[in-house]
Amino acid sequence: MKRRTISRWGMGAFLLAVAGLFVGGCATTGEKPKPALVATDKGTAIYEDKYEFKAPLGWKLLRDYSGGDFEFGFLKFEKGDFPSQSTFIYDPEPFGSDRDLETRAKQYCSRFLWNSGVLAEVKKQNRVQLWGHAAIVIQLEGENPNRNEKAKSLVYLVKKGNQIISFALTQWRPMNGTFASEPFEHFETFVQSFKFLKKTFYEEFEEKVKKLKG
Amino acid sequence: MDGHQRNLYLYEALNARVLGVSMDDVTTSTYFAKSLWLTFPLLSNTLPWMGTAYGAFSNKPPFLTDGTPQWFGRRTVIVDKKGIVRYIRNDTPKFEEILTFLLKLEEEFKGR
Repeated sequence: MKRRTISRWGMGAFLLAVAGLFVGGCATTGEKPKPALVATDKGTAIYEDKYEFKAPLGWKLLRDYSGGDFEFGFLKFEKGDFPSQSTFIYDPEPFGSDRDLETRAKQYCSRFLWNSGVLAEVKKQNRVQLWGHAAIVIQLEGENPNRNEKAKSLVYLVKKGNQIISFALTQWRPMNGTFASEPFEHFETFVQSFKFLKKTFYEEFEEKVKKLKG
Repeated sequence: MDGHQRNLYLYEALNARVLGVSMDDVTTSTYFAKSLWLTFPLLSNTLPWMGTAYGAFSNKPPFLTDGTPQWFGRRTVIVDKKGIVRYIRNDTPKFEEILTFLLKLEEEFKGR
């Protein structure tokens, strides 16, 4: 996974100088929360009414309530010594800022697994099409002998409108462990079957800005 | 920070400008900006009068976990064209909230 930048800048104040006036107001509802993940009769799952995909059976759902490094994903603890596990996530705001895929891939890989102490090396990088969108798929591997662990990852960066979204799988093993292919197959199924059931915040927001600008 | 950089084209469309402020010196800030590919201005406010003015600076307990007695809290502040503070939020920026707020400000401004 990407790691949040840690520095004193994390404690900076921010100013946005704008023209305009404040209009406040919000509404709250008393609705009971729905289950995050709902199975369909098509063999797929729907996450929070927003995304539909083929979910991996027997994997645990991961959710980020803090609005941080990813939106949701899946985790599986595997046989073998610690840290034998695989995790994959959907992140609508992957690390980096550039809207060009190649440049974003460079930015993204510069921080990938950064906080874990693993120096992830790009093994392969290809341009592909995913659901009709331009995308880059990146294979990375790295190790941290000090913690007796290694990692193998597969990342999709997908150009969706003006945004770049991402999917990332990381498989962890002890240094003498063997990587397994099955989690990568589940990940591929998840990514290839992934559908957006509604417009993203940014897609709707850009339409509002465009309308405002006339 | 990279979140603000990602949204820069939207801030500009809404006539907003973004500045980052920290107590770091210029050299540190320059390196930091390069490491995150930031193109908007970062202000080095080592004294730190600006953090004090916007309520982001603290020299009272609770101190940071590493014992740092003086620190800039992470704070997002939106100031309008007249210099009036309209929005303050501590901790991690809520980008969707910030953008929605800026859109409302721009709509109000256009409607005047």
